[in-house]
Amino acid sequence: MNLDGRPATMDAGVQDVLGPDAADLAAASLAMARRFASGATLWCFAPSWPSHAQHVAVEFVHPVIVGKRALPAVMIPGPDLLESLRPLARAGDILLLVSRSDDPAAAGLRQRARAWGLLTVWIGAGPRPEPGAADYVLWVDDDEPISAYGGRFVLLYHLLWELTHVCFEHPGLLKSEQAECTDDACITCSDEGRLGEIVAVCPDGHAQVRTPAGLEAVDTTLIGDARLGDLVLIHAGAAVTLVEKSVR
Amino acid sequence: MSPEETGFLYPFIEADEHDVGALLSDLAASATGKAAESSELRTLTLEALDGDLDRAATAMAERFRAGGRLYTFGNGGSSTDAASVAALFGQAPLGSALPARCLVADQAVLTAIGNDVGYELTFSRQLIAFAASPDIAMGFSTSGNSENVIRAFEEARSRNVLTIGFAGYEGGQMAACEALEHCFIVRSHSVHRIQETQAALSYRLWEVVQEHLVPDGVGLAAQHEQLEPEVAR
Repeated sequence: MNLDGRPATMDAGVQDVLGPDAADLAAASLAMARRFASGATLWCFAPSWPSHAQHVAVEFVHPVIVGKRALPAVMIPGPDLLESLRPLARAGDILLLVSRSDDPAAAGLRQRARAWGLLTVWIGAGPRPEPGAADYVLWVDDDEPISAYGGRFVLLYHLLWELTHVCFEHPGLLKSEQAECTDDACITCSDEGRLGEIVAVCPDGHAQVRTPAGLEAVDTTLIGDARLGDLVLIHAGAAVTLVEKSVR
Repeated sequence: MSPEETGFLYPFIEADEHDVGALLSDLAASATGKAAESSELRTLTLEALDGDLDRAATAMAERFRAGGRLYTFGNGGSSTDAASVAALFGQAPLGSALPARCLVADQAVLTAIGNDVGYELTFSRQLIAFAASPDIAMGFSTSGNSENVIRAFEEARSRNVLTIGFAGYEGGQMAACEALEHCFIVRSHSVHRIQETQAALSYRLWEVVQEHLVPDGVGLAAQHEQLEPEVAR
């Protein structure tokens, strides 16, 4: 708060905010460009500020700079992200979330997004999400209740769009995401602890599970009462742990 | 000869590019530079338009006091900025909630007017239905030339509705629009930088309107102090 009583948001230079995030912004843009190059759709969700999700979507679909390619980006209407996105998302897609870290609509996001094979980018303000809550976190650290207004988020997603298109000028660097083994469930390195979401339960102790690789049948006898929407850890054809109960 | 010297002749050489580190540092530098540019434009514009913003906010506060509603509008990204401003005035977590609505919110109305009478009338037709003195019409157009935005100002003014506009570049047609009482021009040629500063300008309007409307002692500053413990949870 400054002397004349205005919230400090408008007085902090944008660069002060962006400085520590420039590398994250760069990395997020490259990851997004790689996904787009492989056919991804960008899903935009902003439960408290739907206009931000719409702005991101129109930015990518109808670029302000003539000649830039139109990219598939869609605003997801609220309020339930997981239910809306479940049937729409394909493995390889991108989810851009604009919300506070404590927004209930963001709960459960990380694990589900991993099970569905989504790249996640989270723009927000206030207390930061827990580490690993999304693949890329682009955060405005100060905790002004009105951080969502005044142009700061707009700047962040404008830059995300601009940098993503810079990446398209480097097709040689868009070929793959080789170094994505950042988690304990890397599907290319091992079969340890892959996340999957149960999409159908069979009476014989099996269930059909959705993973980034597609649908597969797994044995559920180890976890007992498997339910539709449960998130499970899969190892060697069996669901070995119940990670998160159904959110349906 | 290195690829850098001949790269412009052989664009396909880039297909063999493999230095991700160089690209990432270029991207980060570009982001920092653009953020600095955005920040500078915002600061300069806020300073240059300070008095005009105060006058417009004072006029808006009078209208709100008299029971007026705020209608916001724009196209594309500007339509979302218009929606954000309506949300800020109507549902901000601090300050008084004021009657504000964005005219792009209803697809049925937009497509009905666009289909039946023409896209250039999408906002002016709605103002005919909704607006009268002491209401306020606030339009956004980075070029300053969006026809449906200009037509809305003309309709609004003829109904004695207060008109406020945000433009970019040199203001386009909005700069010369007689129906537009308060015209804020963000002098840049980048649509993105213009929108970022327009958001800051409209935010300032909201702040000053709030200062006008709330009783002494419970201004934004005091409300903000009260909010902090809750936000810090």
